[in-house]
Amino acid sequence: MAFITFDNVEREYHVGNSVIKAVDGISFSIKKGTINVVLGQSGAGKTTVLNLLGGMDSPTKGRIFVGEQEISDMSEHELTTYRRNRIGFVFQFYNLVPNLTVLENVQLAMEICENPLDSKEMLTKVGLESRLYNFPSQISGGEQQRVSIARALAKNPDILLCDEPTGALDSATGRKVLKLICDTAEVMGKTVIIVTHNALIADMANMVIHMKDGKISGIKNNDQPKDTEEIIW
Amino acid sequence: MVKNSLFLKSIRDMKNAKAQFISIFIMAALSVTIVTGLDSVWKTVEDNTNIMYAATNISDMWIYVSNPTEKQMWSISRIKGVESIEKRFTLNAISDIPGGPTLKVYAVSSKSALDRPILQHGSLHSKRGVILDESFAKKHNLGINDKISLKLNSKWTTFNIEGLALSSEHIYSIKGNTMIMPDSSKYGFIIIHEDMLKGIYGQKIYNQICVKLAPGADVSEVKNEIGRLLGDDLIGSVAKGEDSSTNNIYANIDQFKTLATVFPLMFFLVTALITQSTMFRLVENQRGQMGILKALGYSKGRILWHYTSYGVYMGGLGALTGFLIGPVFFTTLLIPWLNLSLPSNQISINYLNLTYSFSLILACTGGVSLYAGLKLLKDTPAQLLRDKPPKEGSHIFLEYLPGLWNKMRFSRKLIARNTLKNKMRLLMSVLGITGCTGLVVAAFTLTSMINGITQHTYGITYSYDHKIILDKKADSRYIHNKRLDGAVALVKETSVEIIRPGGKRTMELLTVFPQHSPLINLQDVSGNSILLAEDGLTITRKLAQTLGVSVGDIIELKSTDKGYVKVPIKQIIYMATGQGMFMTDEFYESIGETFEPTSILVKWNQKPDEVFLASDYVDEYVSRTTQIEDTNKSTQVIYIAAVLLITMGAILAFVVLYNSSILNFSERIRDLTTLKVLGFYQNEISALVLTENILSVLMGWILGIPLGKFIAELAASGLNDQLDLYSRTTFITVVLSGAITLLFALINNIIVARKMKNLDMLESLKSVE
Ligand SMILES: Nc1ncnc2c1ncn2[C@@H]1O[C@H](COP(=O)(O)OP(=O)(O)O)[C@@H](O)[C@H]1O
Ligand SMILES: [Mg+2]
Repeated sequence: MAFITFDNVEREYHVGNSVIKAVDGISFSIKKGTINVVLGQSGAGKTTVLNLLGGMDSPTKGRIFVGEQEISDMSEHELTTYRRNRIGFVFQFYNLVPNLTVLENVQLAMEICENPLDSKEMLTKVGLESRLYNFPSQISGGEQQRVSIARALAKNPDILLCDEPTGALDSATGRKVLKLICDTAEVMGKTVIIVTHNALIADMANMVIHMKDGKISGIKNNDQPKDTEEIIW
Repeated sequence: MVKNSLFLKSIRDMKNAKAQFISIFIMAALSVTIVTGLDSVWKTVEDNTNIMYAATNISDMWIYVSNPTEKQMWSISRIKGVESIEKRFTLNAISDIPGGPTLKVYAVSSKSALDRPILQHGSLHSKRGVILDESFAKKHNLGINDKISLKLNSKWTTFNIEGLALSSEHIYSIKGNTMIMPDSSKYGFIIIHEDMLKGIYGQKIYNQICVKLAPGADVSEVKNEIGRLLGDDLIGSVAKGEDSSTNNIYANIDQFKTLATVFPLMFFLVTALITQSTMFRLVENQRGQMGILKALGYSKGRILWHYTSYGVYMGGLGALTGFLIGPVFFTTLLIPWLNLSLPSNQISINYLNLTYSFSLILACTGGVSLYAGLKLLKDTPAQLLRDKPPKEGSHIFLEYLPGLWNKMRFSRKLIARNTLKNKMRLLMSVLGITGCTGLVVAAFTLTSMINGITQHTYGITYSYDHKIILDKKADSRYIHNKRLDGAVALVKETSVEIIRPGGKRTMELLTVFPQHSPLINLQDVSGNSILLAEDGLTITRKLAQTLGVSVGDIIELKSTDKGYVKVPIKQIIYMATGQGMFMTDEFYESIGETFEPTSILVKWNQKPDEVFLASDYVDEYVSRTTQIEDTNKSTQVIYIAAVLLITMGAILAFVVLYNSSILNFSERIRDLTTLKVLGFYQNEISALVLTENILSVLMGWILGIPLGKFIAELAASGLNDQLDLYSRTTFITVVLSGAITLLFALINNIIVARKMKNLDMLESLKSVE
């Protein structure tokens, strides 16, 4: 049973007189509770796909379904409601609010959604129980990314979207962060979509989508994904 | 080439931060407009008045004395400090113009050299010819060779108008203290030849000596010396600056001088804060670019000038615009409302303050940019090219109140931290709103103060239908026998010379009426009705202030025929207009005077007695309704002032709030995007930025109320020394000013919210800025 469906989705950008097709007629579906990885070179259209799915952008053609909802024809306001209740985002550049402490950054997200999880518990899960009252500028990049993961998960979303979450981190820290995402998501039964350059992660995904020039160049289903513990980082 | 590309860069940078630069420009222009404009008003009045005083050879003192002898004239001219003297006859007379306006008649000799009129049209050839007040003539469409009749010595005499002129004694032309503002249709002057008096009074008569003093002479000393010389013959003396015309002009000038200090202060402060917050932010955003320029090998001076020039261009341009607008705008808008009769309104500029204001603006704009640039340039190019360390979050004092802090929503916490961390921005908004509310409150208070004059004078103090000025032949016996059908109060109004405690002499109005007069309801300073004191003087609050006296002090009154009488001040009353001294008819007679009414106040039982009003016994009469209308008409200038104040307040509020919202918004664009991505609705995000505005509106509103009261009192202080204005800050004023300020804030918020809606989520997430 498909949980997420992209049906011939296209997203065009107009720059001056030229038209750029960031996403050029792609179709795929994703099952609930799976971990999925999007691979591709820079400029392939990965971020655009994630933004479309996250309700931050709308397709110029085609339809997108999430569960029983069609998000491709939602209004701005409906999209916001969709984002607040169903989506958790993790970005390359953490995007924490500098004026709020670690704990408050997590609580901020929970304030607006329907069934939030306990914020301190979430931060304990990502190993930050001792940094609750620090401001983002007082902790390291890896720790900031963990806050951002806790923030995304604390909203208790259906879908967790991670756009190059390790892009700004050194490789060792990056691996820890990826493992954290996959472990927690698996335990909590979230549907995860990760954009990454790290090919190793593909081994533990249920599905890997390869993108090139706005098109899907291949989809690989992995019937027996490796357990995160098995992967030698 | 190089210079050119840097210049292009600054133009483009300014385009990018359009809103902020326009704010700086508007504030600079506004500050300079106000300072140069208000300065020009008083400077123009002062210069033109001084030119006129010099051209007419205005006297320094006028002595009231009945038919001075040659010997008296000679001895006065010998007093040390007296340069020249002249005698003349002067009195107020009714004219035959419709409405019966009063003219002040001056009968002078053809050799007269003091207080000369400035002839505007025609000339004086014959002895029957007169020179008429040009402003008065204009109002009544009178010209050369038209005829005008005056009631002199109870007879009508007709004159031929041969000249139209302006007089330095009638620049601010008001009749005694019954008028509030000059009104040329009601009052003017007319100059006749002294020989004409023979036919009218049977002989040449004089009642005034004009005295011109040598430069540096002591006015008070000369006054006292003349008092000693004339003894009982002296009726009174008035120095230049004490009579209603000169006094009110000086008051007008002083008033605008104070306004020209207070208003700009506020505007300059806001300008400084706006440029400070804007330029700092702008220059700091250019960190990287500064590093590039430095790495390319640009000299420090070159780079500094590049950034300083932003402020200099905007500030300079604004200041210049302000200078071009201010003097012309304010003088043409305000001076006509002062109703001054001046031959020229050539605009004068106060170059000293102009220089100050330009320097101040450039210091605020260029200086701040320079400082911001200098601060950054301390870093090496390598440091500059690296990203600025992220802004540190920090704890604020509210967190130490756990009870409150833990109850707050996170969005509220965010607002609190952000607002308290940008105190300069908050200060700027609060100050701007304080100014705005202050101006609006001032506008309302001024209007209510002025409306209070009519309300108090003609609603509380007096309740007559007609005030009738009696002819000399109508004495109290006549009035008694006449048995007018209505309530009648007999009143004597006269000017008397007084010596205050301390020895200074002035002439003040004395009003006498029976203690239990109908139609007159006096009130003390706290608004309780009271009767005249039986055994002494009752004096109005404003006059008490001017004279520097209080209850218990003794004043010496010049009596009609023998020396001075010492009378104690027993009571202070409040009169909105018509400041003076009061006593009962009985007390008046007890000090050796006789009480004969000069006017009566009447409230008719039925219709007014038209036959009586038209009779010879009546010199002139006026109805209370007319007085109310006239007062309202003459105080219309206040509405112009009110509109002006509210407009300035609006500009201030918009500029300040818009600027601070945009600053707030652009500083936090990444935060706001993050919130948008997390699923915050548009209105929740707008609230994060705009709540601060509402906060500053509330704070500014509270601070603005006393400021407004202060501005109103300041603006009213120099209006006219006959007015005693009460500034009551009413509930309505407070609410209305708050509502208006809030309205400005809401309009601004709508504009900013619309701008924020276009916030591009994806764009600002791409990288760390
Ligand atoms: N707002 C935009 N305006 C114009 N072109 C865009 C915009 N966003 C993305 N693109 C273009 O769309 C293509 C795909 O971008 P993106 O999805 O960010 O790629 P990826 O994340 O795979 O690197 C790129 O060529 C990019 O230049
Ligand atoms: Mg990308």
